[in-house]
Amino acid sequence: MTRVSENSSTHALKYALSKGKEKMENLQLKGSTLKSITRPSDNPISNVEALTLESRIKDNEQYIKNGDYAELHLNSTEQAIEQVVEILNKAKEIAIAQSSDFYDGNIRENVSNEVKQLRNQALSIANKRVGNKYLFGGYKTLTKPFTKDGEFQGDMGKITLEVSKDFFVPINLNGHEVFFTSDDSTDTQPDPFKEVGPKDALPPELREQREQRELEEGNKPSSQSGRDLASVPIDQSEYKSRSNVFSLLDGLTSSLENNDPNFTQSLLEKFDESINRLVTMRTKVGSIMNSVESSKVGNEDAKIDAATRKSALVDADVTELFSDITRQQNILKTTYKSSQGLMNQRLLDFLR
Amino acid sequence: MVDILGIGNSGLIAAKKSLETTGHNITNVNTEGYSRQRVHQTTSNPIGTSGIIQGTGVRVRGVDRTHDPFVEKSLQKAISKESYSQFRHEELSQIENIFNEIDNGGLNNVMNKFYNAFRELSSQPDNETMRSVVRDTAGLVVKDFHRIRDSLDSISRGIDQKIGGEISDINAISKNVTKLNIRIANLEAGGDETGDLRDQRDLAVKELSKSFEVHTYQDNKKNFIISAKGVGTIVAGGQFQELAASGASLTASSSGMDGSVEVFFKERPSHKITPKFKSGRLASLITVRNSDIQQLQDRIDSLAFDFGNSVNAIHSRGFVSRNFPAGPNGEIPTGDRKGPSSGVNFFKVSLGREGASSKLELSDEVKSDISNIVTALSPNSPGDNRISLAISKLQHEKFMAGGTSTLEEEFLKTVGNVGVEVGKAKLDAEQMEGIRVQAETVKERISGVSLDEETANMVRFQHAYDAAAKVMATANEMFQTVLNIKR
Repeated sequence: MTRVSENSSTHALKYALSKGKEKMENLQLKGSTLKSITRPSDNPISNVEALTLESRIKDNEQYIKNGDYAELHLNSTEQAIEQVVEILNKAKEIAIAQSSDFYDGNIRENVSNEVKQLRNQALSIANKRVGNKYLFGGYKTLTKPFTKDGEFQGDMGKITLEVSKDFFVPINLNGHEVFFTSDDSTDTQPDPFKEVGPKDALPPELREQREQRELEEGNKPSSQSGRDLASVPIDQSEYKSRSNVFSLLDGLTSSLENNDPNFTQSLLEKFDESINRLVTMRTKVGSIMNSVESSKVGNEDAKIDAATRKSALVDADVTELFSDITRQQNILKTTYKSSQGLMNQRLLDFLR
Repeated sequence: MVDILGIGNSGLIAAKKSLETTGHNITNVNTEGYSRQRVHQTTSNPIGTSGIIQGTGVRVRGVDRTHDPFVEKSLQKAISKESYSQFRHEELSQIENIFNEIDNGGLNNVMNKFYNAFRELSSQPDNETMRSVVRDTAGLVVKDFHRIRDSLDSISRGIDQKIGGEISDINAISKNVTKLNIRIANLEAGGDETGDLRDQRDLAVKELSKSFEVHTYQDNKKNFIISAKGVGTIVAGGQFQELAASGASLTASSSGMDGSVEVFFKERPSHKITPKFKSGRLASLITVRNSDIQQLQDRIDSLAFDFGNSVNAIHSRGFVSRNFPAGPNGEIPTGDRKGPSSGVNFFKVSLGREGASSKLELSDEVKSDISNIVTALSPNSPGDNRISLAISKLQHEKFMAGGTSTLEEEFLKTVGNVGVEVGKAKLDAEQMEGIRVQAETVKERISGVSLDEETANMVRFQHAYDAAAKVMATANEMFQTVLNIKR
């Protein structure tokens, strides 16, 4: 027979009560925060996963912002190219009309003024700004890219933005490739880390390892030769120097001023080439915009998925929680009731 | 007939002693560490008169406490283990709070903000506002590194103080035990009862068990010995070894921080016994301070060091965002009055990993002018974003742990570890509490006072007393009868 003393029964009772109260407190905390995890030790793995998800959500928000910005930039670029194409078309029409002997010198003199005006328009488009940034200056976004004489002051810089994890898109075309000629082989997706990248932060021995591995896998991005931007192959060497938009318009003006319809006619082919080139370029910008748009949609979806998963990890299941609380309350009540019998009964009460 | 009076008297004495003991038990029902006492009584030595052996009543042999030394020892052990895991849980919970990012931002959060600020800056590298946002978020990262390190440091210092308090408690209790030892020895030499004093001594030993794991025994000279496992004898009979604790210099400290409190025997200050304690609060505090906190401090230092240096490695490659008119041969001036044109660091990082997290700051250049935040790889190119892109991409670069994990992964691993450790400690603490309660219940079942039992005994002994008195009354009547014969 087990002997029961006052202290042994109160010990057992105290233990049972404090356990019940502790559980109750825990549940109440969950009930008031509506979270199933309130500290890392509640569920270390879920906690870490939730933190990772939180970062991914924030990243995606930033990617979406970047996407918006890229779209703004690309839109303006597209519009600018469209306007240049329009100007060139107009100039071409003039050139066609004036390439016959139908008009005389006086009329050509007058028409030449119109072409001059078109050239000025083209120049103002070339110096177009988004906010305080010049669109076509390459990396030199704060200097006017074209002088009055149509001389290019900018550089060949390609500004890239990360619009979704590891997906970089170029957001600008430099003035050289738009108004002069595209003599550089432009990647549709250039490697922004050709010259400097996060790899440069690695300790030397790690960097070597990494490069070795990439070489073996054959996916070193910088060694890939870029795809040609135009779907129509253009023999660049032929018109390289002459497809300059400004010199083309200048040439037209002077041919008109000099009343030289033959030269005017010889310019026609150049106009066609330039217009073709620009249209192809516009198509390319459009396709980049499409990819930005689709990556934005992808980011939104990923954001929602991540938020859903995070909620599943961190948020408390309300129905389950409150049924747990009710159950725990009942357990506690029973403990109180049973201890009433234990604490208040004494042999002394019956010996009077 | 005198015999009858004597027998009755012995019964009265025994019943009175029993009632006294019952009263003692009842009044001490709630005295901590009290063991119930029982009167041992036997028959008095019988005498033989004219060939007949005749009993002479009852004799009180002594008063015993009900006590099981084995149960007592297992209780001491359970107390040591409970205090160890309970303190471990308490201290680790404090550490856990530092890394709790569920409701409010922490390092992971601000680090993410930092990378995204650079990502946003790369969309508008020529935007002044974005630059100051980058500087502010970088400031937050620095502040959070400081917060984590400072909080870890202050928990470590808090433990130093607690160790000091523990040691003075231990000394006070040890001294008390030596006094009890002397009194018990003296009383027992005179054959007196020492149950109550032994209870008090057991209570003191249990108090010591909270601080470290004790081992108690009696040596061949009947001296009561208390030794701390792994450390040595603390109390031997009427003497005790005084412990002392004081701050150590950085080189001598075991926690990796200067002024860490180390424990030693007062007579041998050069011989440190800090890491030798097993179980109990002391061992718990020392392990958390010397192992858990120190590891975390190293991890955070490492994170801050690698983070600062990798950002700098890229940041210093580019050119600051100011216009530097090129010289006649196209060379770029090395600097202007606001600082150099290239090679500018973003963070000020300490030379070694030691304490790197508390020493991490924004570089003076970045602090003084936001145009010193580098975005461009080529000079005079306000639209060039290659440096800021590369810095934002550090987020996904596996440059930690020998190129196997990113900074975020490394930090989250740390957070995960803390969570797992605290979870384990909590479980341990609950389990150990259960074991201790069980041991205590077993002890109380054996030694504890049961009021019902005592009430029954009281009735029983009262009846015995009444009956013994009746025996005397009867003897008295018999005397009367004899005296009346003469009349």
